[in-house]
Amino acid sequence: MSRRSARRRLGVPTGLLGACLVAALLVAVPVVVTVVQAAQGGFSVAGTAIGSTSTLTLLLHSIEVAAAATPICAVLGVGTAWFVERTTLPAPRLWAVLVVAPLTIPPFVTSYAWANFGPSFQGFLGAAGIIAFSYYPIVFLLVAVALRGLDPALEETGRSLGLSGRGTFFRVVLPQLRPAIYGGMLLIVLDALVEFDAFVGLKFQTFSFDVYAQYQLGFSTSGAAALSLASIALCVILLFGEARLRGHANYTRVSQGARRLAGRYTLGRATLPVIVAMAAVVAISVGIPVGMLVRWFADSSQAGLSSAGGNLTYLFPATLTSVEIGVAAAVLGVLLALPIAVAAVRHRGPVVTVLERTMYLSFALPDLVGAIALAYLASHWLHFLYGSFVLLVFAEAILFAPFAVVAMRATFGQLEPSLEESARSLGSGPLASFWRVTLPLARPGLVAALVLVFTFTLGDLSTTQVLLPVNLYTLGTEFNSNSSTVAFAAAAPFAAVLIALAVAAAYLLMSRFGTVRALATR
Amino acid sequence: MADLECRDLRKAYGGHVVLAGVDLTVPEGTLTAILGSSGSGKTTLLRIVIGFVVADGGTVSIDGKLATDSGGTHVRPDKRAIGYVAQEGALFPHLSVAQNVGFGLARAERKRGSRIGEALDLVGLARGYADRRPHELSGGEQRRVALARALAPRPALVLLDEPFSGLDAALRGETRAAVLDALAGAGATAVLVTHDQGEALSMGREVAVLRDGQLVQTAAPDTLYRTPADLDLARFVGDAVVVPGVAREGRVVCTFGTLDVRGDAIAGAVAVMIRPEQIRVMRSADAGGVPARIVGLSFYGAETVLQMELADGLGTVVAARTFDSAGAGAGDDVRLLVDGPVVTYPATDAKREGRGVAATPTAS
Repeated sequence: MSRRSARRRLGVPTGLLGACLVAALLVAVPVVVTVVQAAQGGFSVAGTAIGSTSTLTLLLHSIEVAAAATPICAVLGVGTAWFVERTTLPAPRLWAVLVVAPLTIPPFVTSYAWANFGPSFQGFLGAAGIIAFSYYPIVFLLVAVALRGLDPALEETGRSLGLSGRGTFFRVVLPQLRPAIYGGMLLIVLDALVEFDAFVGLKFQTFSFDVYAQYQLGFSTSGAAALSLASIALCVILLFGEARLRGHANYTRVSQGARRLAGRYTLGRATLPVIVAMAAVVAISVGIPVGMLVRWFADSSQAGLSSAGGNLTYLFPATLTSVEIGVAAAVLGVLLALPIAVAAVRHRGPVVTVLERTMYLSFALPDLVGAIALAYLASHWLHFLYGSFVLLVFAEAILFAPFAVVAMRATFGQLEPSLEESARSLGSGPLASFWRVTLPLARPGLVAALVLVFTFTLGDLSTTQVLLPVNLYTLGTEFNSNSSTVAFAAAAPFAAVLIALAVAAAYLLMSRFGTVRALATR
Repeated sequence: MADLECRDLRKAYGGHVVLAGVDLTVPEGTLTAILGSSGSGKTTLLRIVIGFVVADGGTVSIDGKLATDSGGTHVRPDKRAIGYVAQEGALFPHLSVAQNVGFGLARAERKRGSRIGEALDLVGLARGYADRRPHELSGGEQRRVALARALAPRPALVLLDEPFSGLDAALRGETRAAVLDALAGAGATAVLVTHDQGEALSMGREVAVLRDGQLVQTAAPDTLYRTPADLDLARFVGDAVVVPGVAREGRVVCTFGTLDVRGDAIAGAVAVMIRPEQIRVMRSADAGGVPARIVGLSFYGAETVLQMELADGLGTVVAARTFDSAGAGAGDDVRLLVDGPVVTYPATDAKREGRGVAATPTAS
């Protein structure tokens, strides 16, 4: 078969394929550099780094945390999504906000808050708890979108075939949510394996600590790089596993005829227990960090603001820098993710799948290693980028681009391809069709992607610390430098502004651009 | 407006042949219906013509200009000036009716808005619809807006992909008429893809039947219905009663007696295809024809389908339509007479069907 016909069979437009390739290559830069660094160290360095028993113990710690927290995330995410979207739970919109709220709280803030509860929370329990209760909203978001896309006729058919309400949930609804659940769990597992920020306040040591130690001890990047190869290998295994689990699940809805809105199940006497359970989840995920912040504030007012007062002059410039980095990273991250998200939905095939999966590789790299790799690259070959704002923004964008892909893919998947085809037949070119039809309809997903990348960038610590230009400081770095000296009262304002910013961004974007007046034609 | 010419179009997906050399000519200003069951390749053919799918081989020319050939020419869909009405309309949900209809117009013309009004007039929609949103329209109105949108840029050719699917019977008829009027009003060359025989026969100037990736017959609707190219086709485009017979000198002898043959006569053993409405059912014993007994009866209101067993010793059961079934019941003795000429096919076709078994018509 000639090359030309192979391309034709593939069916991915050349421009889109090119954009995907560029995005995937850019995102893979830290991984490539890390592999090169590890290779430069040679086998001996890599061997000692990977082979030491402490490394294995710490790697095991990370795997244990991931294994414990991820299923909890799945249960919490699916449960909350089901109650909010499909039952008569009072005030569902308020609950939706409360459930998503943990995403706006930087992991390092949560970390110090849990640590404050005492030594028992500074070990495995704290680590797994922080991951579970900080990241379950990812599953919630994906499952909520999937639930909205479900055809209620399927559930009705299930009931008509003699299934109970519970049976319908487990045998009809849950199987259809599988792609969303697995997708969310994959992100959480990968994150948990290389998490650093969420454990800064704990005494619990994980794989990323080892990497950090390697880096700090000898300033030996190749040792840290060699270690990261282990996490990349784990990531590749997980990606394959998820692909096999997901199987041939189709994301594009192939609906025929009118689709009704799904009804809500009456909770009845279960209302109160469900509210209590939801409240408990929110209390743990939001209450602990926010409550701790309030306490720190109270402490600081008692202390007469003397210690905090000096720091407050940094508050405004730090806020400004954080917002600048966050906005720039959100825009760049979404731009990188956009072609992959479109291709993954519209032109599913082996090439696109590989490119899509490449996005996750950098995600599986410990943040610190990725940041060091970029710094290394800049210092050796791209000197003009070294220590620059651009490099930091780039690092944040590629780090969180997978979230943008996931957020956008769901909405693109719900758009009928015939809409774009109609636009093409009316004389609009591929780009014009995308601009005039696809983009306006996919706006909710686009906005969600922007908010996610912005929020995660605000809450990032490790990458920022490595790549932040010397004369700048952000809310995160200020919080951390204060809290490391156990001056929590001084740190509190920075955390409060961080959370307020994330909430404001989410609210502003969602309310102004997040809705499309009529998504359903039929 | 322009004519469409497809030559030897071929397409396979991973070894599965979808189109195996399709030749199709649609004369300027006419509507050709492409009729095929699901999986026959009709949608693929349509998508190749508009350019969403690249053919493995063959050519598509619109108004004499090459749009696709195997030598690498592939005009982009947006450069083909083809109007396209997707299944279920595919209106842009974020745009009003006027914005939908004006979508394919140049900016200046879109702003002026006169063409949008004209297009709405063409499909018989009041201009008051302009500000409505797609979800506020009924299914039939949505199809009309979709057609208005396709016609607004004055396309060279209009393609309709199952444009009436999902509409109920009453709305279907009404929308069909509106679409035919609009296409005639625009003087458009059109291709309609459908799996509905009635729709194809009633709407097409010509009907092209696609089966297993090949066009088996392209003909005017009455020619197609009266002289289908083969027995399967005869059954596909309508109900058919098939009995064995022996043909000689332009006539055929079968269980219904000696009948005239339409079209090419074959000699020897044949399968005789009779349309159910050709079979006249008579109650009186002295009316001539062959004796039979009613064994089943399905009442559809205006017409009744009778199942009758012939007294030919073979137990042949045939079906016929009658508009006067008052008093008829199972067990009644009747006499059957075949009106008009019948069509014959080589007998191998009949053997495959078993010995002298008649197809059972279904009410459409």
